[in-house]
Amino acid sequence: MERKNFIRSLMIGAISTPVIIDACKKTSTDGSTTSGSGTAGTTTSTNGSCTVAPTETEGPFPTKTPASFVRSDITDGKTGYKLTTKIAIGNINNSCAALAGAIVDIWHCDAEGNYSEYGGSGMQSTNYQSVHFLRGRQTTDANGLVTFTSIFPGWYSGRATHIHVHIYNTAGTSLSITQIAFPEGSGTALALVNGYSKGMNGYTYNNADNVFSDDKTGIEIATVTGSLTAGFELNFKLNVKA
Amino acid sequence: MPQKVITLCYRKIIDSTATNPWDKFIYEDSFTELKMQSQFYNQEGKYSTFAEIILNVPGSEKLHFLVSASIMGYLQQLNGIIPDVLDNLGRRFLTFENFKFEIINSDFNQIDKHKVAINFFSRPLLWHDSIDQYLLVSPFKEITAEETFTNLFQIQPFVSIHAIKNIS
Repeated sequence: MERKNFIRSLMIGAISTPVIIDACKKTSTDGSTTSGSGTAGTTTSTNGSCTVAPTETEGPFPTKTPASFVRSDITDGKTGYKLTTKIAIGNINNSCAALAGAIVDIWHCDAEGNYSEYGGSGMQSTNYQSVHFLRGRQTTDANGLVTFTSIFPGWYSGRATHIHVHIYNTAGTSLSITQIAFPEGSGTALALVNGYSKGMNGYTYNNADNVFSDDKTGIEIATVTGSLTAGFELNFKLNVKA
Repeated sequence: MPQKVITLCYRKIIDSTATNPWDKFIYEDSFTELKMQSQFYNQEGKYSTFAEIILNVPGSEKLHFLVSASIMGYLQQLNGIIPDVLDNLGRRFLTFENFKFEIINSDFNQIDKHKVAINFFSRPLLWHDSIDQYLLVSPFKEITAEETFTNLFQIQPFVSIHAIKNIS
């Protein structure tokens, strides 16, 4: 703003301010208790500054809502080959029988190998719609089963394709944190998807992966069936001490 | 005269003194979610506060993002209107699409130590003039009409100008 205009704006302000200043004064010399008529000035309880109080319909009335993780379809518009993930939870302390009521979180990367995340740098903000793509939470049914719909994960440097899993009991106490690996070799889903646009050049296979390489018996590798056109289905059984 | 387009940031702090239902939902649900999510970064259970985890565990700053999922439903209930910040007619007038959720402090064993902030970033505003301690603004549009409806408001604590751009 130009200086001239700024000064002019101050002068306009000077004409209109006395009323507001009076309204804000704690001690009134003339003994009058009325504040300047026509001002909306009252002190709000939130910050103690002399500003107007809310004068509109209250609302919207909030209702209790679960975390946005709680959903079965976690695709959020991400494109890729459809993947249905079925994880069955068993209880080691009960002969690996189905564990009902367990909370299961999963998360994995998109076709390009990126996770949903923001907020790394201080000023970064994000749109409040669909920021938690490819992250989901379900509670196991009577058969200990949860089902998620998403896309076949891509890969990123240094890691074999994987899905993260975190299992909690009903109270939210962590029972197990693990990752699910994918079968490899000709004809597998991994080979069919072929790393999406990246290809498989530079891919880290399970035996070289820093998480899965110690899994000599393949206990962390899921069963994956299906095709590119029909989509894939992943089945995995996970036993926890509950 | 060149004009300025500004984006405001309102940092809404929510702590144990929260009284209105929306604030309390945010408070309680973010605490529950933090207790769940922090276990990933605290697998031996060594730490009892958010600060200790942030200080000692690489990657744990993701907790701000991860816990933000617990408040998304409440953000949507605002219908894109920034709460609390009023114009001089006493109306909420700022709209938002972007936000950033922060955990300021927390102790997993004491909910009253829990403190979070939601930073609301307003949609762009055209800053027409300053009148006394008030700013005269209107929602920024690419095409300006001859007459524009404006809002007069005073910058209050926890409200700041986040970004500014000169236009001619």
